[in-house]
Amino acid sequence: MILSDKENSASKNFIITAVIWLVVGMSLGLTGAIEFVAPDLSSNIPQLTFSRIRPAHINAVAFGWLSMANIGIVLYIIPTLTRCKLYSEKFANFICYVWNFAIFAGVLCLLNGYSEGREYAEFPVPIDIIVVVGLISLSYNVYLTVLNRKVKKLYVSLWYMLGAFFWMPIVYFIGNRTFVRLDGLNDGIVNWFYGHNILGMWFTTLGVGIAYYMIPKLSGRPLWSHSLSMLGFWTIAFFYAPTGTHHILQSPVPEWLKALAVVFSVALVIPVITVLTNFFMTMKGNWWQVANNLPLRFVLTGALFYFVTCIQGPFQATRSVNWYIHFTQWVPGHAHVALLGTFSFFDWGAIYYIFPRVTGKQIYSVALARAHYWFTFIGFLIFFAAFTIAGLVQSAGWHLGIPVGQWVVELVPYWIYRALGGAMMWFGNILLLFNIIQTVRGVKPLDEPTVEPAMVPPGLARV
Amino acid sequence: MNKNYILPGFVVLASFGLITFTTVLLPNFIFRPTASEFAVEYTPKEARGRKIYVREGCVYCHSQFSRPQDRDFGPLPQAGDYVYETPNVLGTIRTGPDLTNEGQKHPDQWHISHLKNPRTLTPGSIMPPFGYLKDDEMNELVAYIQTLGKKRMVKYHRIYQPDELRKVLDKRKVNVDGSAAANAGRGIYQQNCATCHGTNGLGNGPNAIAIAKKPANFSRPFYKDYDDVTWFWRVSEGVPGTRMPQWGKLLTEEQRWYLVAFLKTLPRETEVYPKGYESIDPEKWVEVNKTSAAELNSVKPAEIIKTDGPAPGAGGGH
Repeated sequence: MILSDKENSASKNFIITAVIWLVVGMSLGLTGAIEFVAPDLSSNIPQLTFSRIRPAHINAVAFGWLSMANIGIVLYIIPTLTRCKLYSEKFANFICYVWNFAIFAGVLCLLNGYSEGREYAEFPVPIDIIVVVGLISLSYNVYLTVLNRKVKKLYVSLWYMLGAFFWMPIVYFIGNRTFVRLDGLNDGIVNWFYGHNILGMWFTTLGVGIAYYMIPKLSGRPLWSHSLSMLGFWTIAFFYAPTGTHHILQSPVPEWLKALAVVFSVALVIPVITVLTNFFMTMKGNWWQVANNLPLRFVLTGALFYFVTCIQGPFQATRSVNWYIHFTQWVPGHAHVALLGTFSFFDWGAIYYIFPRVTGKQIYSVALARAHYWFTFIGFLIFFAAFTIAGLVQSAGWHLGIPVGQWVVELVPYWIYRALGGAMMWFGNILLLFNIIQTVRGVKPLDEPTVEPAMVPPGLARV
Repeated sequence: MNKNYILPGFVVLASFGLITFTTVLLPNFIFRPTASEFAVEYTPKEARGRKIYVREGCVYCHSQFSRPQDRDFGPLPQAGDYVYETPNVLGTIRTGPDLTNEGQKHPDQWHISHLKNPRTLTPGSIMPPFGYLKDDEMNELVAYIQTLGKKRMVKYHRIYQPDELRKVLDKRKVNVDGSAAANAGRGIYQQNCATCHGTNGLGNGPNAIAIAKKPANFSRPFYKDYDDVTWFWRVSEGVPGTRMPQWGKLLTEEQRWYLVAFLKTLPRETEVYPKGYESIDPEKWVEVNKTSAAELNSVKPAEIIKTDGPAPGAGGGH
């Protein structure tokens, strides 16, 4: 049966394929990182050239891994929170197949040079159409599920998820409207409206929504404040949209647009502080749980990195810091701490908790999962430090008046460390993929269910 | 639907709609820069080159907007310069150099060699090799690169002076009209400049023969228009696309002012053409070089076709 009607099968399919895309995307990223150290590695093969690998990497991890993992997790959380089945499981499964096809075709297109050339919006038009239709169908499915709900009150996670599914189709459509030709700078303005809002209106809202579900669930403690969480939601809804122009802050775009971007970027501190206060106050007195609850450790590590990225963000957007930081490696470091450090850690934690529940099988190996955590965590710290320090060194050189092309030589050590950290994370996620495959195949788990109770489906835990 | 959610739902829709309108639609209504004199309308060949630039993802390492704090990047682009730039290639990261004013800095052949194997021309570069581009594609790409900022550089070649340099004028301690400064400048000139510009400033130094873009001949009346700051800026910043170095990085501010004082003394009523040196075939330069460098530097006043006023390089003020 290709289109399964089984409960949670769409969630399962989305998660499995997302993990495969994660390994594909990270392999592309690692290749790119190694090419910084050994630039002749591509040896004149166009598909291996860094400038083609980079968009393929970004799109594979952003739309292949992170979006699909988020969707998979959301398709489990929403029926759970509303206590009713997903509106149409078959339809969701169908979207999973279509989405996978779109990402596969899109990544192949990018590697072969069929790119629209706008950052984060590189996919060619046919792929864009598939993605938009897929997003709208998913929104339809999700909204109807929530309308049919058996629980009257909407938990904060649902607000975030409904918001994301409302905004994302619009934002994606605006970002990829190639039928409206805009002149250079206007094209840039719309490009960065999209480029930043895909983070704010999709990855952040879904990621924070997932964390709002996972932290109370995994720690067994109620959320500290529901009203504070709602304040966070409404402020993020209001403050996020105009911030995109901070990516082109010193280009000749209108000053009022830049001022708007800076003010709203700084104002994003408010939702971040409310979200983190809520997370950490929920955990107050319960931090001992991270020692023997791996999914919770993943999610809370993500929350710590969320603190890092969201304190960096508003400062970077101010003119004085942007003056120094912009164009350097600091910026991709910031992008990675958001998408990899924060939201991927949320998703990994959520996958280890949710995957046993959607498959009914215990995760194959706790040891592999723990190795996955330590490899990604330590790898990411090295990787992030390399990016950030490289950015500062880079900018220092430029401001001493040393030309960009000459100063590049000084950055080689950081690129080596970056590739090293990347390789560690890549290896960690190979372990994840192996663990997921073994779980799906139904191989007998290596551990007793009591070792990590969160990674065991509810029926088995009592055995 | 529960009525409790109608008002919040409406607020979300309205605020998101308002903000999207402000940041997406409004700029496109009220911010419509018209093409400036520096905007490049691409020829079909250059347009194809630009498509290759987009296709190969050059934007992931090369930005195309220089900022006020970027030194030596040439004049800043203005909004009207970008009118024909769709899709935008502004870029957000500068792993490689900024390309805002890259056009004409290097000859075409340099670009082709550099694209094929970047490390032969810029050691330590981490640019990937693009040798897989077909010859046509390579030529189109280079044609596009050569348009970048070309008009801007031509326009500002003489008149562009960053505001910073105006401040330099205020703290200047050298009297550039005095003969003492000019004499000091003459020594600096002979040590640093004469190998290309010639001992008499006629652009006929021994290196001039081998250089594709000939060094300036200071006897041209054109240089009458140069004021002190322009001289100082030109000496400090060099000439993009030529072998003229940025002396600002090699000489002190005082030394450069002495040099300006000397350059101001060179006569430029009538342009003087030094005889012979243009006719030496650069291909045979190697053979010529075997004779003696001193011989080549010996364009003596007697061989000069025409000269009015005092002998070049006489110095000593006006």
